[in-house]
Amino acid sequence: MTRTPNFVSWRAAILHRADDNIERLTRQLERLGVTVLVQWKPLDLTETAADIVLVDADQGWDDLLPWAGDEAPVPVVALLGSEAPGRIAWALEKGAGALIAKPVAASSVYPALVLATHAHHERTAVRARIAGLEERLRLRPIVYDAMRSIMAAQGGDETAAYRTLCRLAMQRRLTVEHVAVAIVAGHEPVPRAM
Amino acid sequence: MKTFRVGILYSTTGPYGAIGRDCRAGAEFAIEELEQAGGPVHIEPVFGDPAGQPERYLDLIRTMLRDDQCRNVIGTITSLSRKDVIPLVEKYDGLLWYICPYEGFEANENVIYTGACPNQHLIPLFDYMLPRHGKRVYLAGANYVWGWEMNRLARELLTRAGGEVLGERYLPIEETDVGLLIADLERHRPDFILNNMIGPSSYAFLAAVRRLADRDPAFAPERCPVLSCDLTECELGEIDPGIAVGQLSTASYFESLESRENRIFKQRVAARFGAGRRVSSFFAGAYAAVKLCAEAVTEADRDDPASVRGFLHARPRQTVLGMLAIDPRTNHAALPFNLGRINEQSGFDVIASRGAIVADPYLVGTLANEHAPHLRVVQ
Repeated sequence: MTRTPNFVSWRAAILHRADDNIERLTRQLERLGVTVLVQWKPLDLTETAADIVLVDADQGWDDLLPWAGDEAPVPVVALLGSEAPGRIAWALEKGAGALIAKPVAASSVYPALVLATHAHHERTAVRARIAGLEERLRLRPIVYDAMRSIMAAQGGDETAAYRTLCRLAMQRRLTVEHVAVAIVAGHEPVPRAM
Repeated sequence: MKTFRVGILYSTTGPYGAIGRDCRAGAEFAIEELEQAGGPVHIEPVFGDPAGQPERYLDLIRTMLRDDQCRNVIGTITSLSRKDVIPLVEKYDGLLWYICPYEGFEANENVIYTGACPNQHLIPLFDYMLPRHGKRVYLAGANYVWGWEMNRLARELLTRAGGEVLGERYLPIEETDVGLLIADLERHRPDFILNNMIGPSSYAFLAAVRRLADRDPAFAPERCPVLSCDLTECELGEIDPGIAVGQLSTASYFESLESRENRIFKQRVAARFGAGRRVSSFFAGAYAAVKLCAEAVTEADRDDPASVRGFLHARPRQTVLGMLAIDPRTNHAALPFNLGRINEQSGFDVIASRGAIVADPYLVGTLANEHAPHLRVVQ
């Protein structure tokens, strides 16, 4: 880790009934510079902005968090006393990237924030990457159509047509898929030999 | 008269035995003085000596907390042992007094920290060194969390300052073969060396650097100093005389510090142990912890953590370390920074100082501004 993780001025939403554990957790979060809000009702992020959510996985129910696992918009930490597989599964389903076991030990708080934040960033990056790949896959037939148009215009083979398409994409600073769409839609003239 | 038992848990043998012996001596001296002074409560020490064996700490502190009715325990030196005993201290709702410099990233309600964390040692040290000695640094460390974390932070500080880590090497705590390390240093020729080794490997390293400097003046301490954040008067006796002269170390307390309290303290130490007794930050720190603990227990007439913490948080208290304020948010003491240069008399000449710095164990303020954008979640 080249940079020391830091949570100063973060806002944490703790979804849990207030008790001694939560008081200890709140004090430890405040030591890290985090502002804490404790509530035991469904979270509405448009109303209550939060940079990280810590949720009671022992008693939590689906509507408490308005998202399913891979759509969690912020890092999630599960607060867990139970060992029941169903509760662990619920925490995972809600996107928890780390857990703090109850009773809360002070030393478990900072590591959980670091882990949950890391997991969230990783998940967000992977999701963006998959979305990009899926789009490329979706546009694959159009790329092929564009190549056929280029082959007809140039009289070359598939390799030459693909090379032409790549070169044009580079010139236009677009992806191959987007240039192919432009050609097929007629917004871009079919390139002749380059 | 009411009696309160206080655990004193230090290893007087093993790789960091010199530090443990000084901590224990400081604690014993404070208890002797309390006995002589009398007063409304009696502090009865319960000594434990784990001899540097990690598992012995657990047995001893369990007995202190469970069977001997100690609510306060002054002790542990390595972070490994502190982390090991904390769950037991929490379980029995005791209070651990930790007096050693450490790598930070901890703030526990059942621990009072009077040793410095990195914003009180490493960061002011780099603030001082980088503009004066250069930014090409070699990092050496003991192969455990102190060495790893100090060097990780050093690397981060250097990266921020546009400096360079020329090399990084770790030795097991008791390893004294420093040949590869010295060869690496000769190859890289750094501006200075950060030494986060402890005990015998640190002593062997300082001796080897001295021999290197004898054949290559580029490694003389004026040109390429070795910097430590935990080398004190109590260990200079373990190193052959003269070998470490000119090297640098940081401490919140040095024997040579000029202050009225320190002068009186040293007179009392000399009267009790003879004029040759060296006083280190470990001796003074353990002494101060016992005295503070006794004052808290006397005032509250109770020794539970909440009462003792209440006493410590209420206002700064006079100690041999100076006025000591314990921050209620972190349970850490605000501490001055001093940089000492080892002299011919196996003491330190203080070459730079800063007044009390509020502890920032998680570096939330110290590194925060540059950091906020890095990990900030964009919604």
